[in-house]
Amino acid sequence: MTTISNERADELAAAGLNGQNKLTLGRLLGTGSIGYAEEGPDGVMRATVRIPEDQFCWEPGILILPHGGTLELTLINDDKNTHCSVLPNIGDNLVIWLVNHSKGTATLNLQGPGIYWYGSATGNDEGRGLTGAIVIGGEVPPEAKLDRPPQPRP
Amino acid sequence: MTEYVDAGQAIPLSQLSAVKGSAPPVAENVNYERILNARSEPHNWLTYYGTYDGQRYSTLDQINKDNVKNLAPAWVFQAAMVGMHSGASTFSFEASPIVVDGVMYVSGPDGKVWALDAKTGEELWRYKHASPYDVSLCCGNVNRGVAVGHGKVYLYTLNAHLVALDAQTGQVVFDSVNGDVRAGESGSVAPLLVKDMVIVGSAGGEFGVRGHLDAFDAHTGERRWRCYTVPKPGEPGSETWADNGEAWQRGGANCWVTPTYDPELNLLFQGTGNPAPDFDGEVRPGDNLYTDSVVAVDVDTGEIRWHYQFTPHDVWDYDSTMENLLFDAPDGRKLLAHADKNGYFFVLDRTNGELVRVFPFVDRITWGEITPDGKVTPKVYPDKEGEPVHFWPGPAGGKEWTHMSYNPQTGLIYVPVQEVGATATRRRREFKESMPYWGAAVAVDLEDFYGFVAAIDPLTGEEKWRWRNEYPMCASTLTTAGGLVFQGTPTGEFVALDAETGEKLWSFQCGSGHHSSPTPYEVDGRQYIAVPTGWGGWLEGFLPGLLGGNKGDALFVFALPES
Repeated sequence: MTTISNERADELAAAGLNGQNKLTLGRLLGTGSIGYAEEGPDGVMRATVRIPEDQFCWEPGILILPHGGTLELTLINDDKNTHCSVLPNIGDNLVIWLVNHSKGTATLNLQGPGIYWYGSATGNDEGRGLTGAIVIGGEVPPEAKLDRPPQPRP
Repeated sequence: MTEYVDAGQAIPLSQLSAVKGSAPPVAENVNYERILNARSEPHNWLTYYGTYDGQRYSTLDQINKDNVKNLAPAWVFQAAMVGMHSGASTFSFEASPIVVDGVMYVSGPDGKVWALDAKTGEELWRYKHASPYDVSLCCGNVNRGVAVGHGKVYLYTLNAHLVALDAQTGQVVFDSVNGDVRAGESGSVAPLLVKDMVIVGSAGGEFGVRGHLDAFDAHTGERRWRCYTVPKPGEPGSETWADNGEAWQRGGANCWVTPTYDPELNLLFQGTGNPAPDFDGEVRPGDNLYTDSVVAVDVDTGEIRWHYQFTPHDVWDYDSTMENLLFDAPDGRKLLAHADKNGYFFVLDRTNGELVRVFPFVDRITWGEITPDGKVTPKVYPDKEGEPVHFWPGPAGGKEWTHMSYNPQTGLIYVPVQEVGATATRRRREFKESMPYWGAAVAVDLEDFYGFVAAIDPLTGEEKWRWRNEYPMCASTLTTAGGLVFQGTPTGEFVALDAETGEKLWSFQCGSGHHSSPTPYEVDGRQYIAVPTGWGGWLEGFLPGLLGGNKGDALFVFALPES
């Protein structure tokens, strides 16, 4: 599932911030759509991200996971240029090369909560907009919490 | 539309590198007994401080004051900070490498751990702990090192996980969550192996974390005990927090520097951090135990046996997390030395916490005064809302976390000293979990600073010599039986001093400032000195005058020419 506020998208488009060689040279980071991973009965979360043609971005640009764990990520390059993806993962970053019109997978193990960034580490793909976010929600387990009454949050 | 080209499955980045993938099984028989007797195998550096007493002294003497002028790089390892990582501009290479029988285990910024061939620098394996970009870090993306033993390498991560790795492969053995990143907790401490336990402590004093020290089973990762360093109402020490108040819940006293340990007393000596909020004392009346203290903790139970508070009711951010160095007086009295942020050097009886002597070790102290019998009188502090107050030492202290060292040949303790002041203006704010909780606007001086290495006789308080530097000393000292003291400078020089006179005998420009702890070791009869470099961390706190200093993340290893 992918969502983005039309109002926000319209503002970004009007300002020339969400494309290539408009107001900016590349796409402003963090301006992509939001998607959610789906958790299967096996506890594994699954999602797909694409690189649209001539966009230099991941679609969705922000992928939300309900909690930490295993993510099976399908990566599709619909662009007419070659890119790649270097992805965060416990133990070592993962890398996959994505030639024009290709499709691959990555199995990630990540802890939450928090934000992780990933990108296409070739040329300046990352600066042009091919920097995506994987966002993990949730709380740490009870045994890791401080022994104190609930505290106010911002 | 044609079918997609099959891009396959993503692979670990290290597969596209020269990483060997395995290390010899040298850590299999590193256990409590060997670490207890670490000084008997000086070719190794088995634990964070080299030995449990925190002396950072090596009996290796191949490199000595006569030949140190010939010291040269043997190899260099690059930590290679790339991509979008937390603390993108504040990372620093702060570790003290561990060395076991020719294998070096060292952690870098951003959750990285490497096993390296200590003779050649060849990368044997690597581990990269993925850690959230948005974790709360007061003082940069840093890690001070790993512990090694029981066939494992132990890392405390930025997101407050204790991770055990297989020492041969770097693969995860266990991963125990120990802190709440939503509460502003993080991890930077080098774990300490004691008996069959791993000891780690909390970071997050600038976010109102209630400090704690923790012990885990070294084999399974199961928790043994947690020791909170701020008492709850009704517990001993709670009388030093306001009645019916909530301040204790966000009280600070975090434990982000490795403790020292006395096996005969069975006590850990843990330094604790500042109270929170750092500079607004009005919301937390009282002495605020056990902030800014050394707590002597029973290693088997986690109970506090005694404490000594260096700065009661701190309103200057004077953490006391830095090491408590253990040494014995000529009459056999078991002592503890501590050079505090507040500019005073304390010697305590480590059996009971009794003050033996206290004296200033910096030139400029205006915040207050501590008399020889330990009476503390605050003089200058942020008190009235909106009124700027200047004081020395600044919040990074006369000495920060970076470590001093003790040479039994000279009887001197070599202290890296920072002479930097600051201005704090009290600005009250309400507490919100994960938000910085300082209670002041703080600006550390951009001029009128300097530093020196002070050679101090802990039995008399006399400063025997000092090696003065244009910039403050922001890295640990190391002293050796070769009659040397090693010190890295903020401008990149790695310097060797004569331990008896302070004369500068050698230096090498590493290209980036030092904020780490050098490690000595020996392989195949050749002595080496390893030092991580990389200017970063809480620069705006300890030396904003060098905020523009060159970044870096290289590990330099020096040796005498083989010929």
